[in-house]
Amino acid sequence: MAQTHVVATGVEARVASGIPTGKMGVWWFLASEIVLFGGLIGSFVMSRVGSGGWSEMAAHLSVPLGTFNTFVLLTSSLTMVLAFAAAEKGDQKGMRTWLLLTVLLGLAFLIIKGFEWGSEIGAGFTPMAGSFWSFYYTMTGLHALHVLGGVVVNSILFLSALMGLLRGREHRVELAGLYWHFVDIVWIFLFPLLYLSWTKGGI
Amino acid sequence: MARELVHPNYVAVWVWLVALLIASVGVTTLPISTGIVLLLIFAMAVVKAILVALNYMHLKSEQLLICAMAIVPLVIFFILWIVLYPDIALH
Repeated sequence: MAQTHVVATGVEARVASGIPTGKMGVWWFLASEIVLFGGLIGSFVMSRVGSGGWSEMAAHLSVPLGTFNTFVLLTSSLTMVLAFAAAEKGDQKGMRTWLLLTVLLGLAFLIIKGFEWGSEIGAGFTPMAGSFWSFYYTMTGLHALHVLGGVVVNSILFLSALMGLLRGREHRVELAGLYWHFVDIVWIFLFPLLYLSWTKGGI
Repeated sequence: MARELVHPNYVAVWVWLVALLIASVGVTTLPISTGIVLLLIFAMAVVKAILVALNYMHLKSEQLLICAMAIVPLVIFFILWIVLYPDIALH
């Protein structure tokens, strides 16, 4: 029979190994995601070091747009953790506000990324334009899909909170937050890898 | 038993993250060698990732099992990467 304990949000949760099973599940998922993105990033670095001419390709990316998008995603991590902090304090209004801001910032990231992709494809840099561009669209595309997934989850949480359905289930904000911060960490590495490492000659 | 997470100053962490972002872009304009630039921008990326993991994902105050679930896949990834690197990158 599953044990229960009271987490800080006041919710009774099933417990495995002293950890709420929801949190355990999210961390297992994130562990698999580390291997997924790690494999992709590792392949990119090895291929880039093993072949030449990628710096010239990477120089076509917009550093100002990439920097601004990184700022947007870092800020969304702040709003997400503030939603969790508000949930822990039982501040429903604060939780709803921060969740909404997180959703909007996630959408802003996707819109900017979509604009970037449009400009690059318009300039002839399609996924078939070379190995760098294949990696670029695969990595940023997979990341954007994860951002979209996070936006959907956070939107559901926001609407649930708006309808009062999240009362007593506020710990879900923490679980969604863990995923959102992980997506942020992945971008923290993709940004210098794709946008900055071409400068000064790069690799 | 209630789980207690340490709540750091989230806004201060965000200020550090933004400062490191600006520094990582700024360092690419400095008149220093490519190797040092690459070392600095990736070192700053690692610091930013650690700041998010410790403070926003609360790994600073999480149980050992959760920390292990975050670290073990990273170790596996690095072992695989180091083993494969010479074969792929240097041929």
